[in-house]
Amino acid sequence: MFRDGCIGVTVDVRAYRLSAVQKTAYRLAAKCTAIIGEVREHSLVVTLTFAPTTGEREALETARLFFQELLDQELREKVGEQTASLRALILAHAFSRTSLPPRG
Amino acid sequence: MVRAVFHPRSAYAPSAGYRLLPLRFGRLDEHAYIVTNDVGEYVRLARDELVAFLERRLDPNTSVYKALKSRHFLYENDSSVAFDLLALKYRSRAERVAAFTGLHIFVVTLRCDHSCQYCQVSRQSEDSTAFDMTVEHADKALDLVFRSPNEHIKIEFQGGEPLLNFPLVRHIVERARKQNEDHRRDLQFVITSNLSRLSDDVLSFCKEHGVYLSTSLDGPADLHDGQRPTRGGGSHRKTVEGIHRVREALGPDRISALMTTTPRSLSRVEKIIDEYVHLGFHGIFLRSLSPYGFAARSLVKRYGVEDWLDFYKRGLSHILRINAGGYFLREEFTTILLQKMFSPLSSGYVDLQSPAGIGIGALVYNYDGAVYASDEGRMLAEMGDQTFRLGHLDEHSYEDLLTSEALLVPLGETILEGMPMCADCPFLPYCGADPVFHRATQGDAVGHKAFSAFCTKQMGVLRHVIGLLETDAEARDILLRWV
Repeated sequence: MFRDGCIGVTVDVRAYRLSAVQKTAYRLAAKCTAIIGEVREHSLVVTLTFAPTTGEREALETARLFFQELLDQELREKVGEQTASLRALILAHAFSRTSLPPRG
Repeated sequence: MVRAVFHPRSAYAPSAGYRLLPLRFGRLDEHAYIVTNDVGEYVRLARDELVAFLERRLDPNTSVYKALKSRHFLYENDSSVAFDLLALKYRSRAERVAAFTGLHIFVVTLRCDHSCQYCQVSRQSEDSTAFDMTVEHADKALDLVFRSPNEHIKIEFQGGEPLLNFPLVRHIVERARKQNEDHRRDLQFVITSNLSRLSDDVLSFCKEHGVYLSTSLDGPADLHDGQRPTRGGGSHRKTVEGIHRVREALGPDRISALMTTTPRSLSRVEKIIDEYVHLGFHGIFLRSLSPYGFAARSLVKRYGVEDWLDFYKRGLSHILRINAGGYFLREEFTTILLQKMFSPLSSGYVDLQSPAGIGIGALVYNYDGAVYASDEGRMLAEMGDQTFRLGHLDEHSYEDLLTSEALLVPLGETILEGMPMCADCPFLPYCGADPVFHRATQGDAVGHKAFSAFCTKQMGVLRHVIGLLETDAEARDILLRWV
């Protein structure tokens, strides 16, 4: 519900990790400021705060976008988790025979 | 018994299961997603295909699966070929960083006979020789040029109008060539000039030393002259005459031209492009205004990035029509992006690098002996912000300059792979960090990309170009001929 220039959304932290919520908030910064609250039980309340010129329809659309983006961010987190070690391996392999000076 | 020479066909069938290789994804448009990897390969997918792929339940017999496999987004459990190929490609793309500084810009004078409304430098009047580089500073700068390990060295003369200090240009070219007898680099020279002071003497010197020229051409005469006023007028006429003289004396490919988009240009992109075709150019760079110098004070606020994107899309469409009609003409900014997508060596374009191209891609030796990490960095300094001033030729060694905090801090901060939003962005392999732009517009080198006109521009162009590549076969054919 849009009230006093804000919309509160609740995120289930069993479905979405905090890093995904933070990245989503950062990405939507031009549309709203997201104030991330405390986790209670399995719920995280995020308050989307809008500029005074923002109308209700626009604010609700941003709230919809928040969840759409959150879904993508959560997927990215999963992919990152699965592939982080491979990325490090590929980079190590790429530079394994270069003349870059050794560390230390 | 017959010995098997080849494996049966079944041996080459996809094995059960696959794993993901490192990738990024994001929305391309309302209907599709794009996945990219670190070496610039991409695949366009519907959302359900993306989710199926990421959840490792994509059918191996689909064309999407084959595309993802061939472009190194997944590997089957029995093969390590993808690792080797990815590593090799990544190393090729990263070679530029190890090669270090290739472009060295000498600002030989701030004097200029034009008073362009979008000028990014605080130009000085023609007779103020106090704004000329001295021979001593030029010699010190040249010594630094050859400290760079890069095999390919380009020395570019800028200003002001560099031909107003032609004796120093002559000195630098001759001395550099002499020094290069020992260093044996691939050495190139470019003079960036409005051509108003082009003389037979200059032309014969350029011919003798293989010097290229680059000029400004904003479009038809009324537009060009309106934007580039000069005492007595006639800037367009002089530029066109100069272009013909250079071609006659040096050859058709020795001169290129650049345009700058102002509010007056926005409605005239077709006419601007036609002017380039009329003058026989085969490349045009649809350049947006940069937020530095006089432009920052006057013009930048009069049009937004969306206006420029509309200008660019109409322009690209016109260029594609011209190509379809049989005249080869490429848009240079698009070509840089295409090289990043389809060439194993990426592109050396300074503004689109990670880590940023400052210092690594270019060094600027200013008329007063100050050394800057980029041309835009010295423009920012002219506006009073010394963030990208690395030091001074009289006071600092090569080591001092290249390990200065002014270079290393923004370089470290602006590796895209670690920047907020950029790190997850599917367009990362085709993009770059522009710390000077973000410093100028947001006050810090990293900037918040949700508020960045640079980011909006890059995303807008890339979405449009990839959209064309994926949905318009004729456009794709033409675009791929540009790489």
